[in-house]
Amino acid sequence: MVAVLALVGLTAVIALLEPAAATPWRHVYFLPVVMTAIRHGTGAGVLAALGAILLFGPVVLRDIERAGARRAVTEGFVTFALLLLAGALVGALASQARRQRRRYEALLAAQRAVAEASPLAGALGRLRAVLAYRLNAQALGVVVLGPAGPEVCGADHLQPSSMAASVVRSGEALYVADAGGGRRPRRTLVVPLAANGVTVGAVAIERHGDIAREERDALTGLGAALGLALENARLAARQRTFAEELERKVTEATKRLAEMDRLKSELVALASHELRTPLTAIQGFSELLATRPFAAAEVRRLADIMRAEAERLGRIVADFLDIARLERGLPLALRCTPLDPAPLISEAVEVFRRTRTTHRLELHVDGALPRIDADADALDRVLKNLIANALKFSPAGSCVRVRARPEPGAVAVDVEDEGPGVAAAELARIFEPYYRAPSTAKLERGTGLGLAVVKSLVEAHGGTITAQCAGGHGTRMTFVIPALS
Amino acid sequence: MYALGAPHRRRTAALLADTPLVLLLVLGAIVVVAWTLAAAGVVPERLARGVTAGGAQGALLGTAVAWAVSRPDARAAFLPFGIATVACGGAVAASMIPFGAAAYLLAPLWLWRRRARLGGLCLDAPHAARFTVLGVALGAVLGVHLAITASLTLGYRVGRPAVSVLAPWLAYDAGANVLAAECFFRGALFDRAQRRWSFGAAAAVATAACLARYFVDPLLPRTLEMAAGAAFYVGLLSLGNCWLYWRTGSIVPGLCAGLVFFAMYRLLHVVR
Repeated sequence: MVAVLALVGLTAVIALLEPAAATPWRHVYFLPVVMTAIRHGTGAGVLAALGAILLFGPVVLRDIERAGARRAVTEGFVTFALLLLAGALVGALASQARRQRRRYEALLAAQRAVAEASPLAGALGRLRAVLAYRLNAQALGVVVLGPAGPEVCGADHLQPSSMAASVVRSGEALYVADAGGGRRPRRTLVVPLAANGVTVGAVAIERHGDIAREERDALTGLGAALGLALENARLAARQRTFAEELERKVTEATKRLAEMDRLKSELVALASHELRTPLTAIQGFSELLATRPFAAAEVRRLADIMRAEAERLGRIVADFLDIARLERGLPLALRCTPLDPAPLISEAVEVFRRTRTTHRLELHVDGALPRIDADADALDRVLKNLIANALKFSPAGSCVRVRARPEPGAVAVDVEDEGPGVAAAELARIFEPYYRAPSTAKLERGTGLGLAVVKSLVEAHGGTITAQCAGGHGTRMTFVIPALS
Repeated sequence: MYALGAPHRRRTAALLADTPLVLLLVLGAIVVVAWTLAAAGVVPERLARGVTAGGAQGALLGTAVAWAVSRPDARAAFLPFGIATVACGGAVAASMIPFGAAAYLLAPLWLWRRRARLGGLCLDAPHAARFTVLGVALGAVLGVHLAITASLTLGYRVGRPAVSVLAPWLAYDAGANVLAAECFFRGALFDRAQRRWSFGAAAAVATAACLARYFVDPLLPRTLEMAAGAAFYVGLLSLGNCWLYWRTGSIVPGLCAGLVFFAMYRLLHVVR
């Protein structure tokens, strides 16, 4: 508007002061023309020059009418030509500079968009929005090849025979002057996104306005820069994921180490206590025997206690040795022989019947049990450990049932108590070394090795062991040993 | 989005595809016959001139219609013949009978009634209202400038011609001159060119063709200054109309620009 007013005002001045083709005032026309060209580009520059020519034209034509084609008139025509040239050239330069600036801004904005920490889909969405705005596109789409197939932004899917798919395959830019289907032609340009010489995707631009060759070349260059930016963003995202994964693993490992450290301290305390208790008993009773006279019956009773405590000490040490062996990956040393399990089971139950009178101990043997190939000592340890546990974790006066029965090709033994049982979540872990169920750990002390050793011994015989608990109505431990074929 | 979601096929249709060659041959033959008969004194010469003018307008309109048909079918093949007949009829009527120039107006009516089938011309363009105003402004600016320049330089004056003199010219512009130019040079030629090349190249082709059409027009005065003026104004008008078509996809803004400009030209032309 300012340019129009300037042109009209200047023409009025010329008309009033010196309406001639060679008037020096005609040079002032260059000012609004050049200013308009600088400010608005080629089209506006040419339009301003045409406006100046239209306004100044009648003055020149009147001179021709009056005096014919003189030198002064020629100057008027030269001014017309120069005005057009100035408008077009200055406008072209200004437009070129503006386009270049816009491209740098677009590249910068696009790099910022993809550099932000987010999943690839989010980065592509931002990139699309930024480019559509900066490149003045009616529609814009981005395709990036990923490990799980092409990631598409701007369309539902990538049609295999589309322009973009073709560009991704060939790595060459494609341009069509009209994509069709509209009153106005839709220029469509697809440029490859390349990183380190490899095509990693494509950017598709659709616009109603022209996409000149110079702009197409520049956009192809932009595609290469964007490809690198996207690749960098992808690497950065992968690095972030790796760092997060590493941090998570370190946190987990630290937690596990802390847990192991706690368990180790607990174990040392427990082991010290478990070892000290029988030692104290042996030490105390042996001192009594050494320093005081006792009746023969009393001496036998004290000797029995000392033997029992020594056996207990031996079991604890054996458990530690077995677990240490298993943790080193070594098998348990068994001396297997064919044997009848029934007497072994009866003997183990009988031992507890004699020593633990606080509970009722019931033994049921269903029919004739088949012979098994087993280490008698190991089987005895398994039975005594399970019966001792059942007695330990069930109230006085309750019943502990031991039931042996033949199974197809095996012998199954149940040890069932009437204690409070074990929570379902804890059942899965009670065979782990050092694990002591929180619900039972409060009731009795222990090393947490007994059931782990039992399981190892049963499995060393080719058998299995399971624990069942029915909602606070006691625990049933069942182990199965294969029969001799 | 086309580039991602549609199968890509390269369009290879030629720029002049679907040109109604039979119609052009028939029109050419009619003109030759008319001049032969006029030379033999069988028909008056003004009839032959009317047939020639009508044949030229009919060729432009017929080709534009043939290129603009949106649903090519059996009936579509007759549409170019229809508009050519109407154009020829208008020209003959204008040359032979008093107030016959009113017959020129049958051509825009014929096109308007078939606008749905002639999607390429986009005659009903409610979206182009703003650009229609711009078209009127463009025609007015060029027309006023022409009037001022001509009255300053060439001894022409803007006058108030009688309606009986002005009306046939306005009818000719509305029904033949401007209508045929916009339908063919913008709605057909420029439309096809812009779908192959840049705006600049397409506008240059359409404008060059448009100028050529005016230079072969026997109705244009043959003086140097008139030819230079015609080239200047018709060139600017053509470029402006190409831009209007480029922005809207409709010939309506260009029609308005042309009608306003030629109305001003007729005011100037008739008073000396």
